[in-house]
Amino acid sequence: MASNKTILVVDDEGPIRRIIELKLKNRGYNVITAKDGEEGLDLLRRQKPDAVVTDIMMPRLDGKSLCEHAEPLKQAGSFLTIVVTCRISPEERSWVARMTDTVLMEKPFSPSRLLECLEKYFEKDGS
Amino acid sequence: MRAKGIYGAFLAFFLIGIALFGNILIQQEKREQVRRILDQGNYLVSLVALHPIDDFTGDKGRFILRTLREYVSSDDLVYCFIHDHNGEPLASLGPDELISSIPKSVESQALYALGIKSQSFPVEGWEAAIYEFAKPIFAQGERTGTVRLGFRLHNPSLFAPERIELLALVAFFIISVAVLIYYGIILALRRLNNLSLGMKHEFLDPASAASGVVKGARVEQIIRDLEESLVLLRERMDSIELRKTELETKFGLTAFQKNQLTTILDAMRSGIMITDSQDNIIHINLYMLALLNKMREEMLDRPLWDVLDQDEILSFITQQGIQGRERQVDFVETTFPEVIPGNVFRVSSLNLQDSDGTGTGRMILVEDITNEKLAEKAKKEFVAHVTHELYTPLTTIKSYNEMLVTGEVRDPEMQTEFYNTILEETDRLQRLIENLLNISKIEMGSLTLQRGLVKSDSLVKDCVAAIETQARRKSITIEKLLPDNFPSLFGDKDLLKVAIINILGNAVKYTPENGSITFSLFEKDGAAVFDVADTGYGIAEEDLPHIFDKFYRSKDPNIADKTGSGLGLGITSEIVHLHGGEILVESEPGQGTRFSVRIPREEYHLGKQ
Repeated sequence: MASNKTILVVDDEGPIRRIIELKLKNRGYNVITAKDGEEGLDLLRRQKPDAVVTDIMMPRLDGKSLCEHAEPLKQAGSFLTIVVTCRISPEERSWVARMTDTVLMEKPFSPSRLLECLEKYFEKDGS
Repeated sequence: MRAKGIYGAFLAFFLIGIALFGNILIQQEKREQVRRILDQGNYLVSLVALHPIDDFTGDKGRFILRTLREYVSSDDLVYCFIHDHNGEPLASLGPDELISSIPKSVESQALYALGIKSQSFPVEGWEAAIYEFAKPIFAQGERTGTVRLGFRLHNPSLFAPERIELLALVAFFIISVAVLIYYGIILALRRLNNLSLGMKHEFLDPASAASGVVKGARVEQIIRDLEESLVLLRERMDSIELRKTELETKFGLTAFQKNQLTTILDAMRSGIMITDSQDNIIHINLYMLALLNKMREEMLDRPLWDVLDQDEILSFITQQGIQGRERQVDFVETTFPEVIPGNVFRVSSLNLQDSDGTGTGRMILVEDITNEKLAEKAKKEFVAHVTHELYTPLTTIKSYNEMLVTGEVRDPEMQTEFYNTILEETDRLQRLIENLLNISKIEMGSLTLQRGLVKSDSLVKDCVAAIETQARRKSITIEKLLPDNFPSLFGDKDLLKVAIINILGNAVKYTPENGSITFSLFEKDGAAVFDVADTGYGIAEEDLPHIFDKFYRSKDPNIADKTGSGLGLGITSEIVHLHGGEILVESEPGQGTRFSVRIPREEYHLGKQ
């Protein structure tokens, strides 16, 4: 089921990209990675992944801007965005709430919890 | 002579008064008499005219007239005639000589008038005038006769017994008042009179020159009186002068206090406006005038609403007014983009009260809070940055550990890689915590040196050891240029190590693979110089002034890609300065960077700490 799903992982921290990639690949997902928002947006536009996992504080283009850029892309076909952050402030909650199919996940996160969240979405999505 | 004149005038005044008063009384009595006659006449003639004409023939007529005579005083009613419709007399009452003297015109007017007719006429031989009242008698809508009644108007006498008493009372009153006024004037003039008489006696009358002693006493008395009056006058003038000076002083003091208040307000670095209870501006300081770009004359004594254009401030003040008169401090933020673009101001209002709690106006305070805002923003950014920096390695450690524990990583090579990553991230976390502790000590001013003898050879060895693994992983060669005689330093070995490792660590981090680092130590001008040169990415020109700023990170992708807290160089610089040294940087983007740390050598004496 998971084999046809592509997940984009955007994080400036190599070890974190590595562990998410490993966890998802073990489950049979295709994983593409980007080390900042700009690279992530480029991959998002070109490869149209089924879900995005992104950090907020990143060089060049941060996670919030990436989500804002992704919003028009979701009009054609929505996809889940998991925003991983270490501080869930009221401002963050409010901008995340305005985005389509976007959820917050607090750092330090558990890879299993992240996977669970993705699978739940895909199940609900019916695909 | 003069006394006689006064008495004559007094008598004339008295007689005129009595005559005038008597005349008023007589006129008044005449008016009353006429009114009484008119009332009585109209009433009686109507009453008599109610009888049918036949009642006046024979005995009945005489009876009616007799009753009338008994009812009305004979002094007033002088005649009564009843005529039939042809004007022929049916009955009459009254003295014959009077009846024959009534003028014909009066008689005919009375006989042919329709309503009540009243008229007055004089009669020869009678002192008084006669008032006649006539009214026709009707029966079944037809005139059957006429009633005529004549009343006498007496000429009242001034000296009638009932007026004599009143006149006597008035005379007494006039005399009393005249006497009182006379003696009042006499008393008031007596002192002046005495004085003038005295003067005459003393200086003009040769007859009194002989009585020298009496004369001297009189003169002395006059002089004493004059002196006393002068002293009293002077005292009064002194008291007025004193009061004037007191008022002038008070006025001067108030003006001074007002000026002083204006000076104090003008010296303040915040905008201040003070209004009265009607919201008219009574004080405004220079700072506020500059913010509003107005002159003081344009603002003073004018209502706030007329002179302030800032809607934010006005609506804030309106809200404050609604909330009541209790003292409160609330604020609104505003800007003055035309005067100071970019700055943020806080407007607060304080209701002013006098000692008994009555509202006397308000004080509006406008403070520049741009720096506070920047500090608040910086604080938020600092917390966000630190949180991110702390949670990132923690996330790696936790997630890698979870993968190992759940057995998802079975390949031994990968397991080793995971353990190494956990170790590296733990070190990173430790370094970060140390850096944070150091930076917080620096911020609080409590970073102090634990000075002691520092042997530079062991310092160099420890520093190189700390970065060797990382350098080896990137195939970076470290060339060491060390002296034969290592200089000894008097400083804090641990902190110096932190400072140099931060520089060496940066050199490894920002030098691409297969690059090289040259680490030299030499003595120059009484200082030990630690020199680190790399073949790395270099520092962009715009970044150079900021590299020692806390949390500053370059936007250069080569730099931004690498993990870093942005704290290292700030801490290094602080440590070097605490040792009295300096740190120099030279960099060429794309070529490399050279950091030189100069630590002055100090003689080390045993027991010196």
